[in-house]
Amino acid sequence: MYAARAENLFHLFRSAAPTLLGVMGVLLLASPIRLAQGYVPTPLIPLVVVYFWSIYSPASLPAFGVFLIGIFHDLMTGGPLGLWSTIYLFTYYIVVSQRTYFQGRDQQVVWLGFVTVSAIASLILWGVMSLLSGARLPIGGLVLQMLVTTAIYPVIAVFFAQFHRRILVEG
Amino acid sequence: MFSGDRRNGFGRKSDAPLGALLLFLVSGILLLSSLYAAEASLFRKARESVLEAAAPILPIFSVPAQFLQDVFGNVEEYFFVLEQNKSLREEIDALRQWERDARDLREVIAAYEALGYYVPPPDQKPVNAVVIGESNDAFVHTMVVNVGRNDNVAPGQAVVDDRGLVGRIVHAAPNASRVLLLKDVQSNVPVYVEESEVEGILAGRTKAEPAIDFTRFDDLDRVQAGQRVLTSGAGGTLPRGLAVGTVSRVTEKEARVRLDANYARTRIVRVIKYQFPLIQNDTDGMENVGDEQDGSVGEDGEDAMPQDADIALGQTSGSEQPAPLVPLDDNQDN
Repeated sequence: MYAARAENLFHLFRSAAPTLLGVMGVLLLASPIRLAQGYVPTPLIPLVVVYFWSIYSPASLPAFGVFLIGIFHDLMTGGPLGLWSTIYLFTYYIVVSQRTYFQGRDQQVVWLGFVTVSAIASLILWGVMSLLSGARLPIGGLVLQMLVTTAIYPVIAVFFAQFHRRILVEG
Repeated sequence: MFSGDRRNGFGRKSDAPLGALLLFLVSGILLLSSLYAAEASLFRKARESVLEAAAPILPIFSVPAQFLQDVFGNVEEYFFVLEQNKSLREEIDALRQWERDARDLREVIAAYEALGYYVPPPDQKPVNAVVIGESNDAFVHTMVVNVGRNDNVAPGQAVVDDRGLVGRIVHAAPNASRVLLLKDVQSNVPVYVEESEVEGILAGRTKAEPAIDFTRFDDLDRVQAGQRVLTSGAGGTLPRGLAVGTVSRVTEKEARVRLDANYARTRIVRVIKYQFPLIQNDTDGMENVGDEQDGSVGEDGEDAMPQDADIALGQTSGSEQPAPLVPLDDNQDN
């Protein structure tokens, strides 16, 4: 009986794990980590989570999970509600629709895909925030944050791949 | 799972989820509605609830990073000990001079006080707080502190660190609050420039240096780089005289301000609970403002000035002897 219950719990964890990782990414983002005295912005881990599982296993990260990560991100930063959920769901939709292209390709290609997605997401974010604030906002800070995120992507992707294979698939 | 056998060309659609599209539309509608009702009670409650729930978890994420930073920071500082000692000695010499000046001025003020010419500014009751979170966003600049409504913290109150003004409280949950930093594009703080005595609004530009918007363009000629910028107290939500920064450069349209607060180092802050001073002998005004107090501060913080304050001040302007300005009774803070 206990074994069955434990199995159920583990099944629940497996189905919610990528969403939880995204939520943890948001919490990490909202912490005052201040890398290199605040000169290096904290990478956007939730974007990596959404991109990674959109390619390799969208079933593990349903659209509602992506929506939750985005809304949580908006509520934590205090920005306009719906902004990050729009960005993450746009990324999710685009990547899931192209996932067969990325599957089985070299990691460099997948990484290039992430660079493209980050650039598009940045443009949307900048455009929406500029529209909302009624001024053309400087994009330098966002570009730096996306550069840090894309630079750290290969490392996080290796960790996520191990996590996905060993815990979510084989576990 | 990682070996996809089918290799479609890029741009060809496959497995496009309908649910994602629907939720994307929902997000878009939310975004539009938050544009028109950013402070709707539902959104505000959601923000405060999430803030309250995340407040105990946030320090867990920052503690390891903080520990590493402290270790590396300490190692780095060993190399600059001699230089730091020298500059600290110089600073102490300068501060001694300031101490002498301050003591002299205190005596002068005491003399004026004894003569009844001077009424001290209203008490500012600070609440100490620790920064437990920040937005780390390119366009939204906020911090989260570990005090909230339970400590009588309310939207609109000023937040300072040991150097100067950090920002204003925008959301207050029971045990955590969100601070809108001065560089955020939504931040507008009334300030004045010392020496030139020019007033303006310090508006965030999402850059490190916010800019002062002046109502009169000829004011710009009087402002020069190096002059100190302080809060003017206009609007009644912030006290007058909080250090904000220094004018770094003056352009054709605006003056840029180098902030005193260093956001990369801000860890411990003080929330200043301030009440706009009212006229003591204006009983009607006091009664009305008592009602205002029950409603706390306005939602956006900017319009939080008691409505009768203008009238109350206006009534005394014609009298021969101005009535002393006193703070509101502080029952609500205790």
